Amino acid sequence: MIGKYEIEIYNNRVHYFLTVRRNITILQGNSATGKTELIRLIGEYEQNGVSSGITVKCDVRCTVLTSVDWELRLGALKGSIVFIDETAAFIKSKRFAEMVRGADNYFVIVTRDDLNQLPYSVEEIYGLRTDISKYKRFRKVYNEIYKLYNTGVNTQLKPDLVLTEDSNSGNQCFAQIYNCPCEPAGGKSQVYNKIRRSENSSILVIIDGAAFGSEMGKVSRYLLQSNKNCVLYAPESFEYLILKSGIISVPDEVLQETFMFADSCRYLSWEEFYTSYLIESTAGTIYKYNKSQLGEAYRTTGTIRKIINVLPEQIRPDPESAG
Amino acid sequence: MLKIHYGELVSEKYIFNPDAFFNNTYEDDWIVDPLSIQMIKDIDGSEVVGPRAIDSPFLGLIPTERLSGGVKTLILMNKDQEHIFNASACGDNCAKWILHIARELQNRRKDLLIRLGYLMDFGTEPFEIEVENLGIIVHNGKELVETVLDNRLL
Repeated sequence: MIGKYEIEIYNNRVHYFLTVRRNITILQGNSATGKTELIRLIGEYEQNGVSSGITVKCDVRCTVLTSVDWELRLGALKGSIVFIDETAAFIKSKRFAEMVRGADNYFVIVTRDDLNQLPYSVEEIYGLRTDISKYKRFRKVYNEIYKLYNTGVNTQLKPDLVLTEDSNSGNQCFAQIYNCPCEPAGGKSQVYNKIRRSENSSILVIIDGAAFGSEMGKVSRYLLQSNKNCVLYAPESFEYLILKSGIISVPDEVLQETFMFADSCRYLSWEEFYTSYLIESTAGTIYKYNKSQLGEAYRTTGTIRKIINVLPEQIRPDPESAG
Repeated sequence: MLKIHYGELVSEKYIFNPDAFFNNTYEDDWIVDPLSIQMIKDIDGSEVVGPRAIDSPFLGLIPTERLSGGVKTLILMNKDQEHIFNASACGDNCAKWILHIARELQNRRKDLLIRLGYLMDFGTEPFEIEVENLGIIVHNGKELVETVLDNRLL
């Protein structure tokens, strides 16, 4: 499934607006913000259609998956947006993760617990909020989603340690960009440990935002509580940075409308899509991309400078210090 | 004392879905209890009309079964000490009430044991919480987060 979907759901009391653009969207946040009510409306509309008095506007089918015969139902669903409430215990199961991979569906999952088996994006974790101003005018509750994590870099940082998720090409590239140690954490689940153990005074953590969702709550909560001078930079992935840098020619829409290209049947996350796109589009050229080993063509001063140019200004190193 | 089991919990007393459990077990007097009335007002913004009717500013007059999952779980924590409830049904806005219920129970020499699957924000004031998996008592948010994550409980 590809595409971006605007969803509008309402009855005479509440009105929801959502936009879904990836295969996995997470809804969490405070109690009593209307998450369960949203699921209830979709479920009731499914059972009774227009007779429910509920309106659901979406270009594809919206459906609710409950614990009852979930494998059977999910196996039969295609081209749908599947809403799942936190009361469904199966969302943390290995079998569910297996069925999400390759599914021709998008999933909107209400959960505060991390789903460690699924690579969801930090960009697609939302809360629900009510627009009170509209309530006063229309006597109806207007609920919309908002991004729970601000993934922009707002703090100026000259790092004395750069942490990356792993030792792949990204790490090798950032080691050349920054004039300080660049250490791999050994996997996304190890990022917290590395930050916690580090005694460095300014740490830049570069993660693959497209798949770091399950770790984001833990790491950001720790950073809020600790006094570490640590900046989290979460581009979609290292491959995304290369594609954005202009080192190779990439049509604008691939990066601006990735939802039209990253088919959920083929890619579990946009990270997988960008990697695949980069490998395919550089095959047979001097920029042939290898995820585990950064090629020589990516290590030249010119290409490194192009990658530096797409980093946020606040964490950009001096051009002279980059090796 | 508030005791929290982080991560998965296997126990006959464990209630994974407090929302459904509440609907089928609540007593009328639970709803008109002064603490329940306060929590319903604070979390849901609703007034208790009676044991089976709630006046929601957004949804109108609703049955008790349509209270939020968070407030239902809080009421269960306060009224049913026979079970261990999944506090992941509660958002951060429930944290102060969980601490309050635990303090009230402590005055009656009882503990409150709950399960959490995420790092709920218990605020900036000092507190006393036992991380039940480890038997370690922590006193502030930083200690709590570090204890849970250092021991890979989540």
